[in-house]
Amino acid sequence: MLARREVLQKCLALGSIVIASDFSADSMLFAFQEGEKQKPKPTPPNPLGPFYKRLTPVNNILRAPGDPGLPLSLSGRVFDTRGDVVPDATIEIWQTNHHGLYDLDGYRYRGKQTVDTTGAYRFESVIPGHYPDKSRACQHVHYVVMAPGHKPLVTQLYFATDPAFEGDPQKNYAREPILQTPDLIRPVMLTGEPNEVHAKVRFELCLECL
Amino acid sequence: MNIKVAVLTLMCCLLVAASAQSDRQVRTINLPAGVTVQYGTMSRTGTLVATLDSDNVVRVWSTASGQLLRPLADGSHPPAGVEFSPDGRYLAVTFELVPNEKGVLRIFDVDSWKMEHEFIVPDAFALAFSPDNRRLALSGMVTQAWDVESSKMLADISPPFGGSSGLSFSPDGRWIVTADGDACARIYDAGSGKLRSRTEFLLEPMAAAFSPDGKSVIVGDNDKTISIIDPESGNILRRLPKQPGLILSLDVSPDGKQVAVIYGDANHFLTVDHLMLWDVDTGTVLANFQKRGITVLGGTFVGDHYQFAAVSANQLGVWSLR
Repeated sequence: MLARREVLQKCLALGSIVIASDFSADSMLFAFQEGEKQKPKPTPPNPLGPFYKRLTPVNNILRAPGDPGLPLSLSGRVFDTRGDVVPDATIEIWQTNHHGLYDLDGYRYRGKQTVDTTGAYRFESVIPGHYPDKSRACQHVHYVVMAPGHKPLVTQLYFATDPAFEGDPQKNYAREPILQTPDLIRPVMLTGEPNEVHAKVRFELCLECL
Repeated sequence: MNIKVAVLTLMCCLLVAASAQSDRQVRTINLPAGVTVQYGTMSRTGTLVATLDSDNVVRVWSTASGQLLRPLADGSHPPAGVEFSPDGRYLAVTFELVPNEKGVLRIFDVDSWKMEHEFIVPDAFALAFSPDNRRLALSGMVTQAWDVESSKMLADISPPFGGSSGLSFSPDGRWIVTADGDACARIYDAGSGKLRSRTEFLLEPMAAAFSPDGKSVIVGDNDKTISIIDPESGNILRRLPKQPGLILSLDVSPDGKQVAVIYGDANHFLTVDHLMLWDVDTGTVLANFQKRGITVLGGTFVGDHYQFAAVSANQLGVWSLR
């Protein structure tokens, strides 16, 4: 199969594309390549991980009053590799509680929502704990994102503040063996009064078009 | 008086049950220094154990002599999956070339250790041979059925998302059951990939196997439930009593009367120290094995007992339970 660059070269050679006099073929190819570089890359996939649960209720408030752990606001937008907003995407997330335990009997720290017309989503939760047996190195939130006309995205979000990364996720991302890139490790912004600190994380999701 | 008799009778029954059960370690194998076992599987004949080890080597051991028969490695590429063929003639190993994307599958003759087949596949950790060794199902981020001889993919049987943790062929090789990450079990035509039936669970199933007559499928899920399914309709026919842990693996006896179940701990994923033998028809426990500090790898029914491999510290053990 021909790459788009090769198609463009062939079209230029065959005269199927006429270039305005001020632009050479090389400059047009350069512009095309620059455009390709700026195209959004799909969010890297990551294994589903344990304990996906069907019939998760539509709910974006996963944190109950008095829950232990650092309150967390997770937000972002869903768009695709064309750069278009995906307004009909459904996001499902699940995570452990502050102590690193999943709820298997119910739906605590599990939620689902459809993004708004701008592709935006928000979940209110807590920073998940580490697994008690350290069978995985890092705190994480599981994501499944589905939208008509797009490839389902299964991924996980990680936190730059995780002690496992020792303050340098770019260098130490492989401390989590299933991470092949630091792209899934997001900065954590702490806000609020000293006695009411709140973590905010943005995680933009880019889907591949079918 | 009647109550006393009933209590005495119950105690006698418990004693009989306790004395009827026995477990013993039949072989101890010392692992190389510094090496830990991450995964392991036993051949259906019970003669070989393959371990996937922390130093990126697959080691094949004789259960009779305890000898290391073969180390298999691929440079810096870590092994991802390992499985024996049902007749014990072949061993399939996958090595990870590009994580979550690409791997290489190698099939070895376990007598000559000649590599019979090698082809590029998606990165896969779960493997299953068909009974005639001509087909192989694999799963990682995707689930596929392959023809071994032609090294061609027969069908992509990936669930909508999440891949499959458990794969098994029907005794006639015609069907594949998949335990899927989206909390469903699916049965496909192994040749065409056409979906035959689908069964929904709440939490993801991790293990699935056909009964020896092919008339039912047994599925174990993370809801600590074992379900008996009609493969034609996907309907759940019945369930065994609530299980004590996450069901990581299940193995049906050749007569279909027993199932061996390996359990994981929902809060401590590294704790896999529990194995039970169940009577499939009555839903009663036939034998119970649980030892702290031991990780049960996998096993097979041999004669009147269940033989399995387990690791503790720096030792690989072969155990018998009945």
